[in-house]
Amino acid sequence: MRTYLLRRVLAVIPVMLVVATVTFVLVHLAPGDPASIIAGPDATPENIARLRHHLGLDEPLPSQLVHWYGRLLRGDLGDSIFLRRPVTEAIVERLEPTLLLTSWATLIAVLIGVPAGIVSARYHNTAVDQSFMGLALVGLSIPNFLLGLLMILVFGVWLRWLPVAGYVPLDVGLWPNARSLLMPSVSLGLVQSALIARITRSSMLDVLREQYILASRAKGLAERAVVYKHALKNAIIPTLTVIGITFAILVGGAVVIETVFNIPGLGRLIISAVLRRDYPVIQGVVLVIAVTYTLINLAVDLVYLTLDPRIRYQ
Amino acid sequence: MNRMSRRAWFGSIVLAVLAGLVSTPAAWAQETPRMGGVLKVASIGEPPTLDIPMSTATLVYEIMWHVNESLFTYDKSFTPVPLLADSWTLTDKGLKYTITLRKSVKFHNGKEMTSADVVPSLRRWGRVASVGRVLWKYVESVDAKDPYTVVISMKQASSSLIYGLSEAHAAIYPKESIEAAGEGQLKEFIGTGPFRFVEHRPDRHIKLARFKDYSARTEPPNGFGGRRTAYFDEILFLTVPETAVRLAGVETGEYHHAMFIKQDSYERVKNIPTLESRIVKPRGWAVAVMNHKSPLMSQTKLRQAFQAALDMEPILVAGFGSRDFYRLDPGVFFPEQPWHSTTSAKLYNQHDKDKARRLLKEAGYAGQPLRWVTTREYEFMYKNALVAKQQLEEVGMTVDMQVVDWATLNNRTEKADLWEVFSTGFVFSADPASHVALRCTFNGWWCNAEKERLLGELQGESDLKKRKAIIDRIQTVFYEDVGSVKLGDYFTLDVARRDLRGDFRTAPRLYFWNSWLAK
Repeated sequence: MRTYLLRRVLAVIPVMLVVATVTFVLVHLAPGDPASIIAGPDATPENIARLRHHLGLDEPLPSQLVHWYGRLLRGDLGDSIFLRRPVTEAIVERLEPTLLLTSWATLIAVLIGVPAGIVSARYHNTAVDQSFMGLALVGLSIPNFLLGLLMILVFGVWLRWLPVAGYVPLDVGLWPNARSLLMPSVSLGLVQSALIARITRSSMLDVLREQYILASRAKGLAERAVVYKHALKNAIIPTLTVIGITFAILVGGAVVIETVFNIPGLGRLIISAVLRRDYPVIQGVVLVIAVTYTLINLAVDLVYLTLDPRIRYQ
Repeated sequence: MNRMSRRAWFGSIVLAVLAGLVSTPAAWAQETPRMGGVLKVASIGEPPTLDIPMSTATLVYEIMWHVNESLFTYDKSFTPVPLLADSWTLTDKGLKYTITLRKSVKFHNGKEMTSADVVPSLRRWGRVASVGRVLWKYVESVDAKDPYTVVISMKQASSSLIYGLSEAHAAIYPKESIEAAGEGQLKEFIGTGPFRFVEHRPDRHIKLARFKDYSARTEPPNGFGGRRTAYFDEILFLTVPETAVRLAGVETGEYHHAMFIKQDSYERVKNIPTLESRIVKPRGWAVAVMNHKSPLMSQTKLRQAFQAALDMEPILVAGFGSRDFYRLDPGVFFPEQPWHSTTSAKLYNQHDKDKARRLLKEAGYAGQPLRWVTTREYEFMYKNALVAKQQLEEVGMTVDMQVVDWATLNNRTEKADLWEVFSTGFVFSADPASHVALRCTFNGWWCNAEKERLLGELQGESDLKKRKAIIDRIQTVFYEDVGSVKLGDYFTLDVARRDLRGDFRTAPRLYFWNSWLAK
């Protein structure tokens, strides 16, 4: 087990190396560069060239890559061109809103998705099942930004219950913070809950057809115990994978919702970095997201162990 | 030029008060301004830098000119007037500017502003600012004569210099800030403005606060000139990239002012009693820039065919929707400016398909694709190009429309072999001689010899009538040689809450000194 863990953690290194190189090459090959963005739309070419030189962007690409590796080995992600501060600092600052938003959204998704999936499976092919799955289909089909904008219109503009956008940091208070994250988490979570509900339902249905379920029913166990004690534990594994992936996607992928609701998270950081070609930030954030993915996958694999004793890692 | 005649010259420039500046008298005009409050402004995104001279992006100075001031600014007719300067004279046949500075003007760090700060600030402006660099060609030296006098000696007379010094980009910083910046961007933002810089939290806000020791001018406010008063305790420029959210926020009162609202929301805004529109008129003109270095577009006949084929009305309707937000006009300069000209108007908006076909034939054009680079980041550019492409194809041209993001567009258009046409907007320029459309170094490289000669003549000419005559001739060359193809003027929409008072609504550039929140 220990060797397995060590192997998995060490496997992060080659992943990082590949991600670092590919990101570096891709962002530098993309047309456009920070110098022309800083200089502005009507800038003279000499001015852009001067700025490019000052930012070290006129160095040959391989030598820039070597510098980037060198810094990376020292754990230094470099300095942002636009934010004029270390990338690591910028990322840490953006982690709070993103992690909170992602956690709330995942919680909402799980709280709605898992019970809906179970109930649908239990009342398979009934009106309950069909209406839940119909709703889930609608949920999957609505783009989350549209849901977000609709919620802003209803709860922000018409009813005035919630602020239309913006983020209140946690240190201002738990309630103001939760209030500012309510609409974005719901619009993210609802869409994800649809996915979770469908996965839970189909995996529950598979398990409910297993012979051991038949056996437990035959020995006279209450239906509740059959479903929640015996079936759910086995059926939840694919759901857990989806939840893990969802969480990982949301960490780096709540870009649209963060933009709509004006939340200064990692998604916003990377999207503005891409638009402005802030190379160090793009590279840094992609790297951090890649590592997060790897670690979340590892965590999910480890949770399997506790749920299913048959699973062994060598 | 002596003091009197200079005044007469500037006085005579005032031909037209900018149309946008003539506003209906507001109900609050008699109200006593109220001190205090935090102004919240929803801006479109993050400025690329806070260092005004570094960037030509409008957002940069519309935020930072509350903090940093220049020696001169514009009054409401876009005539240069002193701001940090007290007075100035131009002697030696236009070759020597002597600028006297105002005394007891304090920087936000408490230090008094003197020529020791002005000289390095101007030198840096000549080094890093786009317009500054262009104008610096005419400058021999900038020296401090005494703590309150700066002398600029010219190699050659330039009527543009005073316009350049009136732009926010010629901002004055403490000498120490400039030394600390070296060749790079400024590390601290200290100025003499009515507001001081407090903090920049990227993707959240830029916070400014009232500067208690601000030394205001005594004249009544006039355009950007005259007395500036900071009524707000603080100004927060919030980054709100989503346009629907900016509008929703200003509607609910979370923001007081929202920049760049989609023009199609105009009707809706008119029906909300708590809101008031600000139509930024003129904002700029939409243009298809021709690449004079490309084998195809370097052929005059082909450019003329391009110009002859287009029907501007549908192009502008697609880009800007209602007539409230666009205008068909041939002028390289806006009707609101004294330089506006209608010469060669018949070459604008021709939609003469036969002429276009004939010109194409004469050019020997055989269907080679024209690569037109455009972007959806500014939706109007894409929509303009889309309709124009259709019209060009009707006369037999092949258009390869390449839709890229703004950063790519800027980068790609720097390289002459990658494109034939690109979309952009030329924003308002007070100085006729430094308009981007006429600049030989701007991507597109329109370096027509006659135009260059006329621009040189314009630099040396100070008589208004003669200047206007030169501009008429420049416009003729612009249309006959097809420097680029002007599509039309456009205006943009900002929305503010009614309880935000002040004249900012009618100015083509955004400022919040002399504005206050009514209770």
